[in-house]
Amino acid sequence: MQIRDTIIIALRAIRANRSRAFLTMLGIIIGVGAVVLMTSIGRSMEGVILGQISALGPKTIALWPGNKGPEGGGGGLNADLKALTFSDVDALKKLSTITNIAPMIFVTGDIGFGRETSDSRIIGVSPENYQNQKVDIASGRFHDETDETEARAVAVLGPDTATDLFGNQDPLGKRIDLGGRKYTVIGVLTAVGSQFFQNMDKRVIIPLSTAKIVTQHSYVDMVTAQATGDLEDAVVDIQTLLRRRHSITLPSNGGTDNDDFLVRTAAQAQEILSAVSVGLTLFITMIAAVSLVVGGIGIMNIMLVAVTERTREIGLRKALGAQPKDIMMQFLVEAVVLTVIGGIVGTAIGIGLDYLIVAVAKRFLADYAFILNFGAMIIALATAAATGLVFGIYPARKAAELNPIEALRYE
Amino acid sequence: MPKKESETLIETIKLCKSYFNDELETPVLFDINLKIGEGEFVSIMGPSGSGKSTLMHILGFLDVPTSGHYHLRGESTEEKGEDELAHIRASAVSFVFQSFNLLPRTTVLDNVILPLIYHGGLRPSARQAEALKAIASVGLTDRALYFTNQLSGGQQQRVAIARALVTEPEIIFADEPTGNLDSASGKHVMEILQGLHKQGHTIILVTHERTTAEHAERIIRIQDGRIVADERDFTRRIASQVKELK
Repeated sequence: MQIRDTIIIALRAIRANRSRAFLTMLGIIIGVGAVVLMTSIGRSMEGVILGQISALGPKTIALWPGNKGPEGGGGGLNADLKALTFSDVDALKKLSTITNIAPMIFVTGDIGFGRETSDSRIIGVSPENYQNQKVDIASGRFHDETDETEARAVAVLGPDTATDLFGNQDPLGKRIDLGGRKYTVIGVLTAVGSQFFQNMDKRVIIPLSTAKIVTQHSYVDMVTAQATGDLEDAVVDIQTLLRRRHSITLPSNGGTDNDDFLVRTAAQAQEILSAVSVGLTLFITMIAAVSLVVGGIGIMNIMLVAVTERTREIGLRKALGAQPKDIMMQFLVEAVVLTVIGGIVGTAIGIGLDYLIVAVAKRFLADYAFILNFGAMIIALATAAATGLVFGIYPARKAAELNPIEALRYE
Repeated sequence: MPKKESETLIETIKLCKSYFNDELETPVLFDINLKIGEGEFVSIMGPSGSGKSTLMHILGFLDVPTSGHYHLRGESTEEKGEDELAHIRASAVSFVFQSFNLLPRTTVLDNVILPLIYHGGLRPSARQAEALKAIASVGLTDRALYFTNQLSGGQQQRVAIARALVTEPEIIFADEPTGNLDSASGKHVMEILQGLHKQGHTIILVTHERTTAEHAERIIRIQDGRIVADERDFTRRIASQVKELK
């Protein structure tokens, strides 16, 4: 007997009991579908975050006042913490391990053009930051040193802000209201999507010197910089310098609890991400294992019913010359075909749902891409087939061991 | 196929069979000594519980004797394992059952192809051709693609005969083949079996009905697990009947 014949027999048996086969497969479909969907979402999220990290550049360092980063409820970005002053910034500029130091001031105020408004963030920043955050200009120009030294009232808009205020009009040269003052739009940035869940495309950038005059702040809300050499050395230098300047003594456990500032690097973000990723993968694997075991028990149950139901058929096949291994293969292949079909359907549903989620997520996260995790798909399918094999063995062996005469007499 | 003169096909020597249930022995067959030649049409006749079906199961390699010997074409069969017995069932013997035992929700053609799958050696197209030939020989060509449950009882039994023929076995066992049929269908089925016998097939018919058994040229009567009569020809049967009447 050839495997082709066995597969045909299995498919016929499944076709004869379609609705039962479907219900049996459901456990496998859900398990495999969940694995494919979750791993694909994981990959997409990883892609978004890695994209942001690589957009920041591997040597970019970010520095905030306060002890919490933007992930801790946005403390660093919103709070008017005054820990980092311009004299701190001047001191940082003297460090040899960092360069391109770009302090930022967040400005509050309404943004408007005519009757149009935008809820974007106003940021005063020095031109160095464009390089640190790897943004490009879509039209017009960045503000430059001259704009800085003369503290000009010029603004560079994020693409979403430009759309808010101008719709399809060209914003260049137009004068917009920022906190009651008029600014001339000199450039529009390209879309970069979100960075750490903040929409970077919804912002208005003005020269740092202008922001300083407007806010009268002697402190900064954020600093970006580039390490010249080793990233860790740069971080240690910054911490040492600031702790000395702020008279901070380290707690006995050597942690950063006493700091009034926070330093983050792209590499650290990547480490956090990979730790989360490993945890997530483990979690998903556990869910998948549980659902496949449950699905497998369902398969075993139904196959046992099938063996009982088809006892006479088994007897007949034996009378016609089927060897025990033929009968064993028939039921084993049926179980494996069930789980493999379940696996394929589950994969298709997983991909379909992922596609829908991507379509929705793209509205919030421009970088969210449709990334399929082929490795996970293959593993999920192989595991489904293996489930069929493992949970199919017992019923198949029971069928193979049936006595032909008793089987033929079975009512 | 020209009719060959009786070369011994089946020989049993002191064949016994007992069933065991929790160490409790229930003997069913006692010292069965039997010779059946190639091309014979033999009825094994006996009342219910006489052991005739058990004998057929042993002769058909569905069961094994507890003691004694069984030779097929002079070759001992006692040492054969389950796979070898399955191989003999696939190639040398076939069965027609009282309850037809066709696969439900399956076409006539697929039912008849079934033994060829286990017989092996043929490509799917050749299997189909062989099956169609067998279906034609029982006059059901126009029903080949019907599902078996769409057929009458007589037609279903003819499908079962086609299935028994398709592997060209040495022996066809028919276990009460007319038992579930009306008399007209039963007669038709017996005519087919007689036709097969005339073509040279060895046929062993198991029945409890004398009228059915008399279609065969030889009747082996079994009672309480023993052969009580072996009537080789018509005249001897008449003689025994006359004796019984007296």
